[in-house]
Amino acid sequence: MAILSVENLSKNYGAIKALKGISFSVPAGSVFGILGPNGSGKTTLLGIVMSVLKASGGGYKLFDEEPNDAHRKKIGTLLETPNFYHYLSAVQNLNITAAIKGRGEDDIDRVLEVVNLTQRKNSPFSSYSLGMKQRLAIGAALLGNPDVLVFDEPTNGLDPVGIAEIRSLIKKLSQQGKTIIMASHLLDEVEKVCTHVAILKQGDLKASGNVNEIFVHEDIVELAAENIDQLDTVLNEMQGYTKKTKDDGTIQLYYPQGQVKLDAINSFCFNKGLTLNHLHMKKKSLESKFFELTN
Amino acid sequence: MRSLLKIEWLKIKHYGAFKILSIFFIVGVVLTNYIVFSVNKNIIGNINTAGLVSSFNPYSFSNTWQTTSYATGFLLILPALLIIILITNEFSFRTSRQNIIDGWSRQEFIEVKMAMALIISVLCTLLVLITASVFALFSGTDFSLNGFDHVGYFFLKSFSYNMVAVLVSVLIRRTGFAIGLYFIYLGAENIISQLLDVWSMKLRSDHGIDLGSMGDYLPMNASDGLLTFPDNPLKSMAKSALPTDYYWVVIGFVIIYLFFFIWFSRRRFMKSDL
Repeated sequence: MAILSVENLSKNYGAIKALKGISFSVPAGSVFGILGPNGSGKTTLLGIVMSVLKASGGGYKLFDEEPNDAHRKKIGTLLETPNFYHYLSAVQNLNITAAIKGRGEDDIDRVLEVVNLTQRKNSPFSSYSLGMKQRLAIGAALLGNPDVLVFDEPTNGLDPVGIAEIRSLIKKLSQQGKTIIMASHLLDEVEKVCTHVAILKQGDLKASGNVNEIFVHEDIVELAAENIDQLDTVLNEMQGYTKKTKDDGTIQLYYPQGQVKLDAINSFCFNKGLTLNHLHMKKKSLESKFFELTN
Repeated sequence: MRSLLKIEWLKIKHYGAFKILSIFFIVGVVLTNYIVFSVNKNIIGNINTAGLVSSFNPYSFSNTWQTTSYATGFLLILPALLIIILITNEFSFRTSRQNIIDGWSRQEFIEVKMAMALIISVLCTLLVLITASVFALFSGTDFSLNGFDHVGYFFLKSFSYNMVAVLVSVLIRRTGFAIGLYFIYLGAENIISQLLDVWSMKLRSDHGIDLGSMGDYLPMNASDGLLTFPDNPLKSMAKSALPTDYYWVVIGFVIIYLFFFIWFSRRRFMKSDL
C-alpha cells in the first residue's frame, strides 16, 4: 500500500512555479526523505498534502484513498514551524491537539517525556527556547502514537544533542514499522535515516527511489608528482577507475566504493618510472554529491 | 458543533485578554447605563422641576428595553475587538494551519468562529436583558414587555458588529491592521451615513420625497439605526424635520448584510492558502 501518492502535482504563486508537476509515491513502512535546497518546494508539497495549501493542478492520495479530514487525524505532522497558542502551556496546547485529533488525551505525559519537556510542561509556550518549541511540535506529532508521521525539517533549531536524539527517535519509530515522511535540506540527515528519497530542485523532481540507488557511493583518489603531465599520460594506461579529473597540480581518480588499492596505484606509477609526491584517498563529500544531484 | 465549541473554550479559557475584555465590557455596560440613568435623574430631572418639559424616565418599564439597548450599543466595539484578537491570533500563531493539519476541515474552523461570534452576541444580549430589568426595578414601574423588540435590535447590532469583525480578521489576518481597519471603516461609514442623512432630510423638505434616513442603509449603520434613544419630549420637538423610520426596510438591510458577511468570510477562508 502507498501511504501517499502524488500525481502530477503543481502549485503556482502568481508567476512563480513552486511545484512543476511532481509524481512519486511513499511505500508503507519507509522513511521517505524529501530532499532539496531552500525554496525547492518541499514545504509547499507537504502543505498541499496537509490541506493547508491549494494545489494549482494534479492531485494526491492518502492510504490509496481520496484525501479527507479523517486521514489527517491519523497522521502526526510537524509542518515548517511549531504552531501553538503562545499563552498556553505545553499540556494545555497538547490537550487542544488531542481534542482535534480525537485521540491521545491519555498520551500527553508520555510524549512530553519522549521529547524531554516534562520539567517544563506547565510553562507557557512563549517562554520556550526555539529548540524546546521544536521538540514540543515533535511531541504533538507523536500524540496518540500514529502509524504515519510527517516531519518538515525536524531538527531545525536543535542543538547537536537534540539533533542526535531526534534522529535516533526517527530510527526507533521506523523500527516499530511506522512510515515517516521527512523533508530536509540536510543531505547528511536524509542519508543517515532515510530508506527512500525524492530530490526536489526549484519545483522539479530530480530523482526518487531507494536511497542506495540514488546515492551511488564513490571513492576519490588524489595524486600528484613532480611532472604532472607525465603522470597524466601514465595514468591513461591504468585500469580500474571510472573517471579522471585534473586541477591545481593534482589528479583525481574516481572508483566505485571499496575498490581502491592505493599500494597498487603507487607501484604501477613507480614501475613506469614515476615517483608520486602525493597519494591520498578521500570520501566524496556529501555537499559535492548534493550539488551534483541538484545542479 | 458541540465538540468544536469545547475546543474553542480550551483555547480561550486561560487567555488573559479574553478575561480582561469581558470584565471591561460587563463593568462598562453597568457604568454606561448608570451614567445615562443618573444624568437623566439629576439634570433632565431638574429641568423637569422647572416645568420646561414633562416628566420622562428612560429606565421605567417599557422605556428600559430601548434605553439599555441603545446605551449598551456604544460598547459593542469591545466584543468585536475580542473576536478580532481571537481570530487573528490563530493566524499569527499559525494555529489556523495546525488545526487543519491536525484534522479539522476549513469549514469546521470558520464555522466554529462564526458560532463563537453568535454566542458572544447572545451573551451580550442576555447582559442587556439583565441590566435593563435591574435598572427598571428601581423605577418603581410595573413590569412590561412593551418595546422589547429593541432587545432584538440590539442582538442584530451585536451580531452585525461581530460578523464584520470575523470578516475583517479573515481578510487582514494581522491583529493590528485588522483592528485599525475595523475602526477606520466604522468611522468612514459614519461620515458617509451622516451625509446621506442630511441628503435624506433635504429630499424630504425640498421635494417631499421621504426615503427614510438613507444613512441607515449602510452595512454597519443599518443595525445602528435600529437603536435610538426612547422618544421623549426633547426629541419630539426635533422629530418633525426627520425622515420617517422605515424599520422593516432597515431590518431587511441588516439581515441581507449579515448573510453577505457570513458568505464572504466563509468563502474567503475556504478558498485561500493558510
